[in-house]
Amino acid sequence: MAVTRTLRYQREADPEWTEWLRRQPGCEAFWECLQCGTCSGACPLSIYMDFTPRRVIALVREGFYRDALSCQTIWLCASCYACAVHCPRGIRITDLMYTLKREAIRRKVHPKGLPTPVLAQEFYRMVQRRGRNSEFWLVLRMALKSDPWALVRLARSGWRLLRAGRLSMRTEQIRQADQLRTMFAAAREGR
Amino acid sequence: MSERGQKLPSDVRVGVYVCHCGVNIAAVVDVRQVAQLARGLPGVVVARDYNYMCSDPGQELIRQDIRDYALNRIVVASCSPHLHEETFRHAAAAGGLNPYLVHMVNIREHVSWVHPDRERATEKACELVRAAVRRVVWHEPLEQARVSIHPDVLVVGGGIAGIHAALTLANAGKRVYLVERQPSIGGHMAMFDKTFPTLDCAACILTPKMSAVQAHPNITLWTLAEVTRVEGYVGNYEVEITRWPRYVREDLCSGCLKCIEACVYKDARFPDEFNLGLSKRKPIYLPFPQAVPQVPVIDPATCIQFKSGKCKKTCVEACGERGAIDLQAVPKVERVRVGSVILATGFQTFDPRRMPEYGYGIYPNVYTSLEVERLVNASGPTGGEIVLRDGRRPQSVGIIHCVGSRDRRHNPWCSRVCCMYSLKLAHLIRERTGAEVFNFYIDMRTPGKGFEEFYQRLLEEGVHFIRGRVAGVSDWALDPSEEGKLVLRVEDTLLGIVRRIPVDMVVLAVGLEPRSDAEELRRLFRVSCSAEGFFLERHPKLAPVSTFAEGVFVAGCCQGPKDIPDTVAQAGAAAAEALALIDRGSIEQEPNTAYVLADHCSACRTCVSLCPYSAISIVGGDGRPHAEINPALCKGCGTCVAACPSGSIRQHLFEDEQIVAEIEGILAGVAGG
Repeated sequence: MAVTRTLRYQREADPEWTEWLRRQPGCEAFWECLQCGTCSGACPLSIYMDFTPRRVIALVREGFYRDALSCQTIWLCASCYACAVHCPRGIRITDLMYTLKREAIRRKVHPKGLPTPVLAQEFYRMVQRRGRNSEFWLVLRMALKSDPWALVRLARSGWRLLRAGRLSMRTEQIRQADQLRTMFAAAREGR
Repeated sequence: MSERGQKLPSDVRVGVYVCHCGVNIAAVVDVRQVAQLARGLPGVVVARDYNYMCSDPGQELIRQDIRDYALNRIVVASCSPHLHEETFRHAAAAGGLNPYLVHMVNIREHVSWVHPDRERATEKACELVRAAVRRVVWHEPLEQARVSIHPDVLVVGGGIAGIHAALTLANAGKRVYLVERQPSIGGHMAMFDKTFPTLDCAACILTPKMSAVQAHPNITLWTLAEVTRVEGYVGNYEVEITRWPRYVREDLCSGCLKCIEACVYKDARFPDEFNLGLSKRKPIYLPFPQAVPQVPVIDPATCIQFKSGKCKKTCVEACGERGAIDLQAVPKVERVRVGSVILATGFQTFDPRRMPEYGYGIYPNVYTSLEVERLVNASGPTGGEIVLRDGRRPQSVGIIHCVGSRDRRHNPWCSRVCCMYSLKLAHLIRERTGAEVFNFYIDMRTPGKGFEEFYQRLLEEGVHFIRGRVAGVSDWALDPSEEGKLVLRVEDTLLGIVRRIPVDMVVLAVGLEPRSDAEELRRLFRVSCSAEGFFLERHPKLAPVSTFAEGVFVAGCCQGPKDIPDTVAQAGAAAAEALALIDRGSIEQEPNTAYVLADHCSACRTCVSLCPYSAISIVGGDGRPHAEINPALCKGCGTCVAACPSGSIRQHLFEDEQIVAEIEGILAGVAGG
């Protein structure tokens, strides 16, 4: 079994990034974290995560953003808000997870082969272009870009859904999609 | 009062002193420039800046200048008058000047500590000094009034704090009235089995003190009593105490308890308050075996005679000739005069129903720590046996720390005692049942004599310490090993792993919070509360048992969460403060009181109802009625001065001329640019 080194040099920490994160909406309070672990205990998915939500907060507080942005945790978050409801310090952990997800995509450091980051991007692209999301094409694109073998596994149930009329290959387009794009652009700039 | 002209008094000679306060002021405010500006102001004879005005040489500067320049007004620009007004008034008095001819300007808290910009801070300091110089011109010599201190003391609350304070005062020969709301004194401490970290028996160390209170010739003990009205002022409080009927006369009862035995209810069937409902009592009962006074009490809410009037009254029969049972008793009002008051009303524990994730009130085997205190107590509902509600002995117990504490949604403070009492309960549970005990903590706080050693002992005893706040308690088994158990879901933060731990019994280490009716007592005694609702001490470090109401002191958990040693120390301190006041015999009162210009007053009574200190009355009934203010009661709040429709109430040190001159001084700076 290979022995790996886990020593962390202080130069790897980026306090400025932590400061930047603190200014993001919903992220103001993470500095007050007690490290009590209530978030991890309350999270229904923490048992699948590489870092528990508490450890993600510890990482971002100390400025180890590379670990925080490249971990699976933020992509496993199902946005159920159980952590935020129970946090004794009122930290909006779900909002923090969203910010980390966006930052991970922007820096292109999200884990490869994980379908959720691909899904997030494809969903956004599709909605931005047409104003509607078409599940057939969304699933197809997600699978092609993350795990093409999934298509083989899903083929049977996909075919059944198609025949039952529960899945459609048709795409829809809203009128004046350019106005929607203007709104998206404004939201991006506001960031 | 002399007639005041509108023009500037001619013979005014002002000295202005600007303090550097080391770098506290001088680093932000250009003190030289402030002094220089002062030199140019009308009436100013001398203006200086000095490193520390509060130091001896600084005060000497004022004394010397009063002599050399014949100064008759002083302005000191330094820190808050809360800190050094007294100092500079003394300095002026030592120089032969009336101390009320001194005025302070706060250029530290109001200027240098809050403004980063040097130029603008200096400008503000200059404006404040200009305003103060204009104001001080109108100051007049004032005399302090003296009020005598009545030597008797009222202690409110008969827990360990009240008991200790009362005994200390009584042993010093003072007369003490001890008022307790419950049927017995003893408070929360009487409910505990052992005390941390020495594990000495709470009853063994408390009950001798309780008996001493009962037996002490200088202590008048009133149980089932509440303070309902407070009037007066430091040294001369008049307090009205309502004594709710016990229905058993303390002066006749011998404590034989035959009445309880004879009650028509053969079995106890009403929840016992002292055991937190874990056992039952009869309508006539003794709260606990060592209760003081050792006199039963009848609860009219459950007694048949009070509910229907058709009881055989077997209790009265059993008492026989002694005739101690008095079912006709009515509330009695006592009026006492005391010089000082000690508030020792204690705390209440956090109600864990507010955190449904912990299942209190849902799962029967989730207990509060106070309930477990009763369970482990030999005089408790199970005689000291630790058994669950279904009679089983727990084989595994989880103790959750910080319930309701350190939590923004509930109580943000640390309750200080929970870590230690959780360790104590862990030890007692393990000792008596051999159960596996898990402590779930966020941070282990054991700062006290012998506390850390006790923690060490628990570690050695093999108690589990899991660093993590439990997210939830449920009876939902995911694994056969969890069937029939309560499962705690928690992140073991030191492992970084989420764990599920099945236990038979969950103990919630509930925090301490202010009593829900502390606000009413606060109003009665006109003390202040901090934002969280605990009584506020006058200064957190230097006046920890005094309050903003003079002559009223605080002790114990009504001031903030604390353990028994700290409570007793604080109760001793409160007693010492009260003794100091009594032994002085009298105190001087600030002359910043309001007064009425009788000729202008139309006796409209607006001020009478507004005065928060009931200091105003209408006098001169038949001739020319007008309001009059008792200077001993007046606190100088200024409410009546502002409210008087005819402007016929004025206030020393806040005369119209002084305030208008001060405002003009500030506006002159604004207008002049």
